[in-house]
Amino acid sequence: MDATLGLAEQMIGDLPVVVVSGELDLATVPALRECLEGHLDAGRSVIVVDLRAVTFLDSTALGALVGVLKRCRELGGDLRLAITEPRILKLFAITGLQKTFSISPVVDIEGSGGSTERARGEEDPT
Amino acid sequence: MSEVIELTLPVRPEFLVLVRFTAATLAARAEFSVDEIDDLRLAADEICLSLTAGIGDGSMQLRFSRDGDSIEISSTVGVEAVAEPAPDDPKGEWSLRILDALVDAHGRESIGDTCRAWLRKRRARSAS
Repeated sequence: MDATLGLAEQMIGDLPVVVVSGELDLATVPALRECLEGHLDAGRSVIVVDLRAVTFLDSTALGALVGVLKRCRELGGDLRLAITEPRILKLFAITGLQKTFSISPVVDIEGSGGSTERARGEEDPT
Repeated sequence: MSEVIELTLPVRPEFLVLVRFTAATLAARAEFSVDEIDDLRLAADEICLSLTAGIGDGSMQLRFSRDGDSIEISSTVGVEAVAEPAPDDPKGEWSLRILDALVDAHGRESIGDTCRAWLRKRRARSAS
C-alpha cells in the first residue's frame, strides 16, 4: 500500500466499514477500489466508507467512489460516506456530488443519515 | 518578489504528490491562507490529471512561478503523452468544475508538439 494512504476494515454485524486515512489520489485510489470491490464481490452491497481522516481527495477518487456507488445501487444497496472535513465536503459540493451520495458526519450504521455513531477502531460487539 | 521552480517528472501517479508538495510550498512562501494552499494543491493535481490522466510514457514539465501575490503553475507534456478523459467520463467535467471554483484562471493550449495546461491563483488577502 502507498505510504500516503491508510485503509482499515471492520465488520459491524454484516456491514463492512472501511476507514480511510491520508491522501486519495491517482496513486492510492486503486487500493481503495480493490478493497470496496472485494466487499461487492462477496455479496455485500451496503458499504460504509469513513473518510473523516482523509486529508486530500481529487477527481480520480470521486470517479472511483461513483463507480462503486453505481455497483452498490445495481445490487440494491448503497455506499455511505462519513465526512467531516470541510475541504472534502467542499469538493463534493463543487462537483455536485453531495446529493448523489449518502453523506453523514458519522459512520452511518443504520442508514438513517447519521443518527448512529461508532468510533473508529471500536470493536464489533457481535 | 518572484520565484520560479521547474521540475521534470515521469508521468506516473506516484509523482503527483511532488506536484502538490511543490505547489503548497510556494503558496506558503507567498503567504497564502491554509484554505488557499489546499485549493492550490488540489488544482495543481487536477491540471496534471487533465493532461495525462496521470499515466503514460515520457515526462511532464512542471513550472511553478510566484510573482508577488500571484502563483502560476503549468504542466507540459508531449502530444503523444496526452490522454484525455473519454467524452462519457465525468472526471473531466469534475476537474473543470474544481478548477473553475478554486483558481482565478486556467487554460490549456497546444504549442507545437506539446500540450500545456496552466492555472493562476492570486492570494485573496494582503500579506502582513
